Amino acid sequence: MSTTRDKQNRLSALIKASRLLKRMNSASPTSRKSATLYYEMMEKYFTRLQEAPERGDFIAAHTVFFPAEVIYAMDLLPMHTETTTWMLALFTGECADLLAAGAELGMASEICSPHRGITGAYALHTLPRPDVMLWSNMVCDNTSKSGELIMEINNCPGYFLDHPFKETPEEINYFVGELDGMVRFLEEQSGKKMDRDRLSEIVSRMDYQIELFRQITELRKNVPTPFSPQGFLELLSIDYLFPGQPEAITYLETLRDELTEMVKQGKGAVPEERFRLMSLFIPPMYLMGYLEKLSKEYGAVSVTEPFFTFWGEGRLDPAKPLESIARKSFMLPEMRMFGPMDDRALKSIVQCAEDFKVDGAVYYADIGCRHSCATIKLFKDVLDEIDIPVMTIDCDVVDPTITSKDDFRDNMERFFEMLEDR
Amino acid sequence: MDKKALGIDAGTQTTKAVLMGDDGIIASCVIQSGDESDASARAAAEQVLQQAGFALDDNLFIVATGMGGKSVSFCHQSKGITTCLARGIHHLLPGVQMAIDMGAESSTVIRVNERGRISDWANHDKCAAGTGMFLQQMAKLMQMPIDKMSEISFKSKSRADITSTCAVFAESEVISHVHRVPPTPMPDIAAGVLYSVVSRMITLCKRIGIKEDVAAVGGVALNKGLVHILEQELGLKLLVPEEPRLVAALGAAIIARETIEKGKAS
Repeated sequence: MSTTRDKQNRLSALIKASRLLKRMNSASPTSRKSATLYYEMMEKYFTRLQEAPERGDFIAAHTVFFPAEVIYAMDLLPMHTETTTWMLALFTGECADLLAAGAELGMASEICSPHRGITGAYALHTLPRPDVMLWSNMVCDNTSKSGELIMEINNCPGYFLDHPFKETPEEINYFVGELDGMVRFLEEQSGKKMDRDRLSEIVSRMDYQIELFRQITELRKNVPTPFSPQGFLELLSIDYLFPGQPEAITYLETLRDELTEMVKQGKGAVPEERFRLMSLFIPPMYLMGYLEKLSKEYGAVSVTEPFFTFWGEGRLDPAKPLESIARKSFMLPEMRMFGPMDDRALKSIVQCAEDFKVDGAVYYADIGCRHSCATIKLFKDVLDEIDIPVMTIDCDVVDPTITSKDDFRDNMERFFEMLEDR
Repeated sequence: MDKKALGIDAGTQTTKAVLMGDDGIIASCVIQSGDESDASARAAAEQVLQQAGFALDDNLFIVATGMGGKSVSFCHQSKGITTCLARGIHHLLPGVQMAIDMGAESSTVIRVNERGRISDWANHDKCAAGTGMFLQQMAKLMQMPIDKMSEISFKSKSRADITSTCAVFAESEVISHVHRVPPTPMPDIAAGVLYSVVSRMITLCKRIGIKEDVAAVGGVALNKGLVHILEQELGLKLLVPEEPRLVAALGAAIIARETIEKGKAS
C-alpha cells in the first residue's frame, strides 16, 4: 500500500483562499462588510495554526460540538478537525487524496467524510501535529473513529469527553465533572493553568453571542429574507471556531446591523425571492459556490436551518462557567435535533417551517451521517402534514464521488420546478 | 394556423413525441434513440409532425424533457421529467395519486395531487439495478428476448435470489443460476430478476408513501411479468396506460399547450 506523501501544508491553501476572498469582498462595493470580517477570521484562525509550531503554541485538536471555550480560556490553540476538512473542500474543492489516505487507515467510505479526510490529512502530514486530541460523543459518533486514530497517527495524548444523553440535573453535574477532568488533563499536558476569570468572560460573551444568533435568526424571518442564500454556513463556522471570542461578537453585530438595515429598506438577499427553503443538514461543500449561484439564479434562499441555527432557550451564567458550558451543550441546535428524539424536535421543525414561511425543504442526506439520515422520514412526514414538500438529495459534505454537479443541479431544478408548479 | 403544442421526451433508449392541438392529441410516436439526443429529438419531432401534416418550421411551441431534454436545441422550454410525468398521467388517468416510472436508465416514483401537480418524488439513478437496461442485460444472459423473460416468469414456482443492489453482482448470480447443477429453472430465474427490479421500486414507493390509485408508466411498464409481481408486492392493481412510454412526452405537450393558452408562447 502506498500513498503519495504530500508534505505541503494544506493550511497554506486555506489561508490563501481566505485572504483572496477577504480582498474580493473588501474591494466589492456590494459585498457585506461582515463577509470581509468572516474571511479575515478564517485567515487568522488558520494562520495561527500554521504558525503554531514555530511560535511554540500548544495545539488542542478537537472534534465537532466540543466546548472550545475551555481551550480558549487556557490560552491554547483550538483546531476544529471536521471544519478544517470541509473548509478544504469548500475553499480548494480537492480532498480526494486526503480521503484516499484516510481509507488506507481503515476509514471506510461509510464513515463521515470530514472524519475520513482529517485522518488522511494528518497521515499525509499536511497539517501541524496537535499536542493533544480531544473528542466527545456529543451528537456525532464518527468522532470516536477519528479521535483515537488522530491520537495514534500523531502519537499524542487524548481525552474523551463523555457527554450524557439527556438533560437532567444529575447528568449536568456528571458533565461538569467530565469538563473538570478535561481541564485537569489539559493543565497537565500544556503546563498552563485554567484562568477561571477568563473562562467567565468567554462564557459571558458566548451568552451574548447566542443572543446575537437569535437576533439574526429573527431578522431572517422577514420577506424577502436579507441573508445570502447559503449564508448560514458563516454562522455555523463562527459558532464552531470562535465560541465566546471578541471577533465573533464583532462579526455578528456587524451582520445583525447590516441585515437590520436591509430589512428596513425592504431589500432581499436575491433580486427576486421566489422560494424560501429550509435546509436540513449540510450541503456538499465542494459545490457551495455553485449552489450559491444556482440559488440566485432561481431566487431560492435558505431561510432556516433547524439543525444549525435554531438555538434552544436559556441563558449562560458567567458565575458558573462550567455548568453554563454543560447547559449550552443542550441548547445547541444540533443537540436539539439529533439528541434524544422526542416531540420537541418534530415540533421545532414544524415551528421553523411556519415561522419562516418556508415553501420547501431540502434534506442533504450525507451518507456518512447516520444521525441526519435516520431522521429523514420523521422530519419529512411532519413537514408533509403541513404541506411542505421535502426533497432528499443523497450527497456528501466533502466526497464528490457520491453526487455529481449535474445530478445535483438536476435534482435542485426539479424541486424548484415542483415548487413553482404547485 | 393555431399554434400547436409539441412535447418531446428524449430518453436514453427511446425518444417520444406527442403533438397536441386544441382538441387533444393529434399524433404521437416512439423511435429508438441514437447517440445524439438532439438528433433523435429532431427525428421524432419530424415523424410526429409528418403524421399530422405539419413541419418543424410551422407555428409550434415545443417543450422537451427526459435525460436528453436539455440537449434539444430547437425546443422553446425544457422541463423536468417528474413535472411532465405528473401532467401526463393526470391527463390520462385523472384519479391517479402515484405513478411509478420505470425507464431504461432510471426509475422514479412520483406522487400526484388532485390538480395533476407533483407533490413528492423519489428516484433511483445510482446503479443499473432496478432499470430497463438491467432487464435487458439479464435477458441477454438468459439468451432470450425480454418479452419471453416476462412471459415465462408467470410459470415460475419460486423466485431465484437475485441481488437488487448491484447490476454486476446480479449478473454473476444469474450466470450461477443458469450453470449450476441442476440449473435453476428459467421461469424461476426470470421471476427472480423481475422481483429484484420490483424490490427497488417498492423501496422508492415507501419513501414517498404508497397510495391507493397507482399507475405504472415508462417502457418497463410494458413488461407484464414485472407489472404482475409489482402488483403482488404492492397488494393492489396497477393502472397501465395504453402506451406507457408516451406519458412524459404527453406531459410536456400539455405544458406546451398551457403555455400557449396563457399567451406566453410567443
